[in-house]
Amino acid sequence: MEIYVLVKQVPDPEAIVKVKSDSELEIENKYFTNFFDEIAIEAGLKLREKFGGKVTVLTVDNKKVDALRRGIAMGADDAIQITDPALEGSDQFAIAKALATYLNLKDKPFDLIFAGRQAMDDDAGMVGPAVAELLGIPYVNVITGLEVDDPKKEVKVIREVDGGKEILSCSLPALFTCQKGLNNPRIPQVMNVMKAMKAQIKKVDLAALGLNAEEVGGKAAKIKVQKYLPPPKRPPVKMIKEDFPENVKTLVKLLREEAKII
Amino acid sequence: MSNEIWVFAEQQEGKVRKVSFELLSAAVDFSKKTNQAVGAVLLGNGLQQAVKSLTPYADKIYLIDDPSLASYTSDVYLINMAPFIKEHQPSVLLGGATSTGKDLFPRLAMHLQTGYAPDCTGLTIEENGKLVAKRPLYGGKVFAEVVFSEARPQMATVRNNTFLVNENLKKSAQVISIPSHTDPAALKKKVVGLEKGAGTKLDITEAEIVVAAGRGIKAPENFKIMEELADVLNASVGTTRATVDEGWRDLKDQIGKSGKNISAKLYMAFGISGAIHHVLGIGTCKTVVAVDTDPNALIFNYADYGIVGDLFQIVPALTEELKKVLKE
Ligand SMILES: Cc1cc2nc3c(=O)[nH]c(=O)nc-3n(C[C@H](O)[C@H](O)[C@H](O)COP(=O)(O)OP(=O)(O)OC[C@H]3O[C@@H](n4cnc5c(N)ncnc54)[C@H](O)[C@@H]3O)c2cc1C
Ligand SMILES: Nc1ncnc2c1ncn2[C@@H]1O[C@H](COP(=O)(O)O)[C@@H](O)[C@H]1O
Repeated sequence: MEIYVLVKQVPDPEAIVKVKSDSELEIENKYFTNFFDEIAIEAGLKLREKFGGKVTVLTVDNKKVDALRRGIAMGADDAIQITDPALEGSDQFAIAKALATYLNLKDKPFDLIFAGRQAMDDDAGMVGPAVAELLGIPYVNVITGLEVDDPKKEVKVIREVDGGKEILSCSLPALFTCQKGLNNPRIPQVMNVMKAMKAQIKKVDLAALGLNAEEVGGKAAKIKVQKYLPPPKRPPVKMIKEDFPENVKTLVKLLREEAKII
Repeated sequence: MSNEIWVFAEQQEGKVRKVSFELLSAAVDFSKKTNQAVGAVLLGNGLQQAVKSLTPYADKIYLIDDPSLASYTSDVYLINMAPFIKEHQPSVLLGGATSTGKDLFPRLAMHLQTGYAPDCTGLTIEENGKLVAKRPLYGGKVFAEVVFSEARPQMATVRNNTFLVNENLKKSAQVISIPSHTDPAALKKKVVGLEKGAGTKLDITEAEIVVAAGRGIKAPENFKIMEELADVLNASVGTTRATVDEGWRDLKDQIGKSGKNISAKLYMAFGISGAIHHVLGIGTCKTVVAVDTDPNALIFNYADYGIVGDLFQIVPALTEELKKVLKE
């Protein structure tokens, strides 16, 4: 089975992120492999263990390759970095274009592509579905269950929907975006982490993809941030200091008369 | 301006979801500024009731009522929607940031080669019809005002409870029936089964009031007191990752970075410490109440009202007090 996993290194949820100016953010240097992408890597590794084949981790990033190293440390066979100065300023669709073009280039066809539900920086949830659309393959968003029938090239997945679960089936090749609950990503052994630090990462540029600079990067962007804003500030908390049960009565009163919500 | 403002009117079992009415109400407001018509896009099977409910909210209803649309998949919706979007070239297409919206819109936008702003918490429009979308980044630590390139439609999904439903609208939409384009051979996936969640409560992303308990509730059976409180308030019950990982509650009710973002009018947290991963999911809630035994719990930094106290004492008392007060 040929499996590709789309991975991204993102600021840890605990990292401080602040608005520096209208057009710039200040991001604390605290990165990790996107939480959902580790689940995607684990999904790929589990299938390889069952059916054999190869897991390749893939990122579009000019600087950060730690997500690829995390993938290798967990057990991925190969790591590819798509990198090119012209990719600066790309939106999610341009990232998807670079990824899909790479996946289409391969002489060896893919069976499965895994991505995360969303990247914990832009929180977009766009790259997975966009890659699937460009490749013209089935995709299911936000899966929490997966059952592959390799000989039949068929997959059954569970998708979280508002107020329930949906069971879907589709044929391979396909792309799935992974949600918490699908599996528990393995923690790599220290030995493998060390090995991954030294592992070779293949670089691919736009020329190798046959893309030109106008098709990606800032100029091709379909949406643009016009201004960054700090989050709306909540007024300081009002602590209700009375003893029980007066505090409960006061709370209800405040919710009715001050906040006017019940 | 001739090009219209469209809202994807999402329906479940023939009933249009509340977020769609919220967005239509906003679209009607926008249309007063831009002089555009408002269109509702409705797909499914057996939609008379849905059409009726939408009639006051739009100038036109673009309707595809066909057995092939009985259950949603992005494939079948995309095949049906793309051709008439291309034909009519609306200037805006909005949808709820629901599981369906988040599934359909990115793929549809890629297909149409147009811009898409996901999971927005605010929208404004300029007189020339340019949409400005506000969306949280990094889980809500910062926000971005997003604008679109020249491509149309300008697409966005918007969180529940961002806009209010305007119940005084009195339009009488013209229904434009469109034949289905479903080509069974082109369908790539099919729905095998649907498992409805237990109970009849709204999804936590949809509910106007969410009451939640974390590890402080100590055991899964103790959530009963939360359910009772929720019943009085017509609220849904949320939780933290801690209880989900313990297997006490379902993942669908988890609030936070690896769960769901909620935008409730009122959020009440009981026995929740307020880890950043959790509070990132409640940043756009209007009023937040926190109850915790630990006076230093971080959750108080994100709350409007706080009580230091034992949830096992407070929750039942609150339920009783609300019962009394709401009856008056
Ligand atoms: C990558 C990542 C993603 C994550 N995503 C999420 C997420 O999406 N959502 C999420 O919630 N968490 C998430 N977490 C976990 C998060 O960091 C916290 O561990 C979790 O939110 C803690 O849950 P809790 O508040 O229920 O438990 P605790 O932190 O254990 O807090 C329990 C609280 O209950 C109080 N308490 C105890 N007894 C009582 C009582 N009788 N009455 C009142 N109060 C009482 C205690 O004082 C304490 O404050 C994530 C973590 C990581 C690393
Ligand atoms: N630059 C990137 N390189 C590789 N994969 C990515 C990149 N950006 C996003 N992805 C994948 O797409 C998913 C959704 O990202 P997003 O659409 O940015 O929320 C992520 O979880 C990754 O699996």
